[in-house]
Amino acid sequence: MADSYSMCKIIYHPGYCKYDLGPGHPFDPRRVEMVLDLLKEYGYLKEPIKPDIVQPNDLLSIHDQTYINVVEAASRGEKILNIEDYGLGTIDNPVSLGMAVGARYQAGGTLLGARLLIEKKAEKVLQLGGGFHHARRRMAEGFCIYNDVALAIKEMTNAGWHVAYLDMDVHHGDGVQEIFYDAENVMTISIHESGEYLFPGTGWLNELGKGMGRSLKLNLPLEPFTEGESYIEVLDGILPKALSWFKPDAIVVQAGADAHFSDPLADLLLTTQDFEKYFRRIIRLTDEYCRGKALFTLGGGYSLTAAPRIWTILYMVLLNIDIPAELPLSWKERWEKKIGKQLPDFLHDVYPAFDPVQRKEEISRNNRELVHRLLDAVIADWL
Amino acid sequence: MLIREVMKSDPVWISPSIKLSDAYKLMIEKSIRHIPVVDNEKLAGVVTDRDLRLATSTLSEHPFDPEAAVGEVMSHPVKTAHPNDPVELATQTMRELKIGCLPVIEDMKLVGIVTVTDLLDALLLLTGIHQPSGRLDIRLPNRPGELARLAALLAERKINIHSILSYPESDNKMRLVLRVGSIEIKSIAQALCNAGFQVIWPIHIACVK
Repeated sequence: MADSYSMCKIIYHPGYCKYDLGPGHPFDPRRVEMVLDLLKEYGYLKEPIKPDIVQPNDLLSIHDQTYINVVEAASRGEKILNIEDYGLGTIDNPVSLGMAVGARYQAGGTLLGARLLIEKKAEKVLQLGGGFHHARRRMAEGFCIYNDVALAIKEMTNAGWHVAYLDMDVHHGDGVQEIFYDAENVMTISIHESGEYLFPGTGWLNELGKGMGRSLKLNLPLEPFTEGESYIEVLDGILPKALSWFKPDAIVVQAGADAHFSDPLADLLLTTQDFEKYFRRIIRLTDEYCRGKALFTLGGGYSLTAAPRIWTILYMVLLNIDIPAELPLSWKERWEKKIGKQLPDFLHDVYPAFDPVQRKEEISRNNRELVHRLLDAVIADWL
Repeated sequence: MLIREVMKSDPVWISPSIKLSDAYKLMIEKSIRHIPVVDNEKLAGVVTDRDLRLATSTLSEHPFDPEAAVGEVMSHPVKTAHPNDPVELATQTMRELKIGCLPVIEDMKLVGIVTVTDLLDALLLLTGIHQPSGRLDIRLPNRPGELARLAALLAERKINIHSILSYPESDNKMRLVLRVGSIEIKSIAQALCNAGFQVIWPIHIACVK
């Protein structure tokens, strides 16, 4: 086992911070700075591998030339007519100088993660950035410009691999799903808060893929106020069956942290303990069904007091480090000053983390039914 | 929304002398359930797959022979629609009479057909999600200016409205479901709440007045 952990690589580049959509925007680069600083404070920070920036032309396997040109020009400060047609200059994706450079550094990191796995230089990779799962071929969406995840998956399929993609972000992974909707060598599994209530509005049970990709695109739209117990029950009902049937060569995990109960953008109620439990589950399933290879990226996660703790826990789970109980006081004080918010005393959440949900049983029952309905829909194709 | 926007133009039609078996084959081949029957360029009736099945069923008292003419079993006279009729009028007619289609007639000629499936498509167009968007559910007092006030607030924050669905509630209130182009819905909801709007979703928004 020791080997498997030493084969875990960490990827990060200071250039990621150029992906800054302006003050007050929820996609705050400080989230990752907080993780790095916390790991340093604990004494657990391994020197990350620095990825090369991706060149605009390398994005052509995922994005349209026109779209890339528009993003790059806007990022240089050039005026673009009808820029809204490309999803830019909107409230979610404002144009900021250098955003394309930041996006390409981040894409470079996720791409490097795929290459390390393909070249057998790593078994597990944690890319401390990326996860821009909403980006479309010719449109920016939901804070995402370049779809780094799709780029990395494409790199793997080009190497002849079958790839499973697990999207833990609280929002549906619509961009990745759309790009690989008819692909027979990519299985996408997105677990999220239902589109009835949450952005982007898609990710329904009946979105199953088309053509050769049929029954390979799976969606688990959960009810608002779903708690960790039900979340894990739902994933346990699908993931082992899906992976043992599909037998991917690797799994790519978008480990968004916005399903946390304190997230300001969504309504699921996971605790840091639930995240830890599930990260460990994914690693076990990776070793069992995905030839041991997993690439984790970050993603959504807009609570500055929770997301950095969740990703620190992910790092520690991947490197087999015992999870410390307390947050270092110096880190806490330093960052409380910087973000103007009170940070908790502990790395994990303190129970009870939130008020009891009255509809808990009903919510769990409805979620459980999702598993049956999804399996009913795909099982004939999985035989 | 008018019938001409949702109908199928140039529909398949047959003459009354066509055999039942041939009409049946045509339905299977084209995957349709309703065929207008036209005699001398005039609509004479409609024949449905149900008409055919009932007419030829061995359970019926006097089953028709598959060689019989469509004119003998078709439904007539037929309720029709005009291309400029509003969709809701056609829906009301079909619902009241419990029928599955209306041939569309203009200048005495058959120009289209509207079926329940077309109305379902229209419903999807009205209620569906066509662009990535977040959802706001608001209850408005049914009086002038409320929607304008809401829209102004969204415009101020540069929020693009992709769709608006409204339906009446009791107590003279309107329910409004907006799909808006933003992932960050709670801060918008907060602003609406502060401005005195009753926000149904997202819930648990604490208003500051």
